[in-house]
Amino acid sequence: MTGCDAARRVLTPYVDGELVGDERRAVDDHLASCWPCRTLFAEEARLADSIRDAIPRHEPSTELRANVEALLDARRARPRAALRSLAAAAAVAVLALGTWGAQAYRARPRPVVTAPPPPFVALAVDSHLRYASGRLPLEVRSDRPDEVSRFFTGRVPFHVTLPEYPVGPGEKKAYELEGGRLVSLDNDYVAYLAYRMEGRPISLLVASEDKVKPSGRDTVRSGRLSFHIDAIAGLKVITWSDNGLTYALASDVSVEGARTCLVCHGSPTERRRIENFSPGT
Amino acid sequence: MSEGGDDDPDFRRSAVGCLDRLYSFARSLTRSRTAAEDLVQETYVRALRAANRPTDPAGVRPWLFTILHNVWKNERRRRPPDSFYAPPDRLERIPTEAATPEEALDHDSVTVKVWRSIEALPDSYREVVLLRFSQGLTYREIAEILDCPAGTVMSRLARARALIIEAARPSREVRRVSGRH
Repeated sequence: MTGCDAARRVLTPYVDGELVGDERRAVDDHLASCWPCRTLFAEEARLADSIRDAIPRHEPSTELRANVEALLDARRARPRAALRSLAAAAAVAVLALGTWGAQAYRARPRPVVTAPPPPFVALAVDSHLRYASGRLPLEVRSDRPDEVSRFFTGRVPFHVTLPEYPVGPGEKKAYELEGGRLVSLDNDYVAYLAYRMEGRPISLLVASEDKVKPSGRDTVRSGRLSFHIDAIAGLKVITWSDNGLTYALASDVSVEGARTCLVCHGSPTERRRIENFSPGT
Repeated sequence: MSEGGDDDPDFRRSAVGCLDRLYSFARSLTRSRTAAEDLVQETYVRALRAANRPTDPAGVRPWLFTILHNVWKNERRRRPPDSFYAPPDRLERIPTEAATPEEALDHDSVTVKVWRSIEALPDSYREVVLLRFSQGLTYREIAEILDCPAGTVMSRLARARALIIEAARPSREVRRVSGRH
């Protein structure tokens, strides 16, 4: 027979249903013959009920439920869907890349790649789709590059300095900065920046080059930089490294590839360079 | 834990079945609808990226909670508190089965007091209270999610209970009213 002290030592696990078998039976036997302990255990059980009752039950929204189910279904359908979507995306991407200025880049038949994209590219696609559909809230919402740059100070292990877009008299900015936030990649954070160009969203991820290397199906060189280009899920993704940072730019295929470069290279000299940019050189 | 395929219908069913509980836990943790939605979606994204998944449907729930908690832990570590703490969602009215309006008022005031005292707990205590009382997880499951010994879970729960009683005084009121259920 368990005594009062022994029974009270297991008060909480008993009430929480953690005590089983002989241990539980021993306490039951004691409670059957000990009124003070029975009262104490009953009060503890009521306290547990009070706590349980007090915690609000939150229901996920219909939209969240649909998003989660779509995530799970997309993953399940990927092996077959990828064949169609990648083939279609590749064709669209080739058309889009044709606008990169020169005709040197010629589409050539390529085998359909079914391997999943590298995590950084996948994150760029996922983040862009979520932002474009209003499911990725920004943590800093501003069109001021200095304000958005400040947000990342101390939050990511590298320095983020967003350039100002130089606007001439009577000239309209080619793009608008909308803000930024952190997104996680392999237990670390990278910077997510949201832009809008001609009404279409553009997403830019920035990570340390130590952690992430650029990759893509196609590679084109411009000066000292190599751009890696991929087309995934109807999006164009360009990754490259420069000055210790790796970037991934994701945009709708309807946004001209070269124009997205204006996000970082908006000076008149750079703009001319972009306009004359030939991926084949 | 073993390999689970992308087209495993059992995994999908189990994963979808956890959504309500994951969201409710995330909402209580973050105190913000948008932060909770983001946290839950990030949890599923990571779960889908994982190479190894539990093949036993019973293992999916604690596994998803572990992922969610890890994501949350990293967020909390990396961000200043005010970056994800929206004003606490108000204490939603909880339906009661009180016989009279007075009883209902009495019950609600106790419920609000208890919830406020849970909200005021240190995070390490609040987490175990939410996992135990809202999610109904066992000490062992909570220990796995929080990556700590089961004894730590038990001691945190005991301390949390004491703090709740202290904060929701008079404790007699808590027990008397809740005893009408």
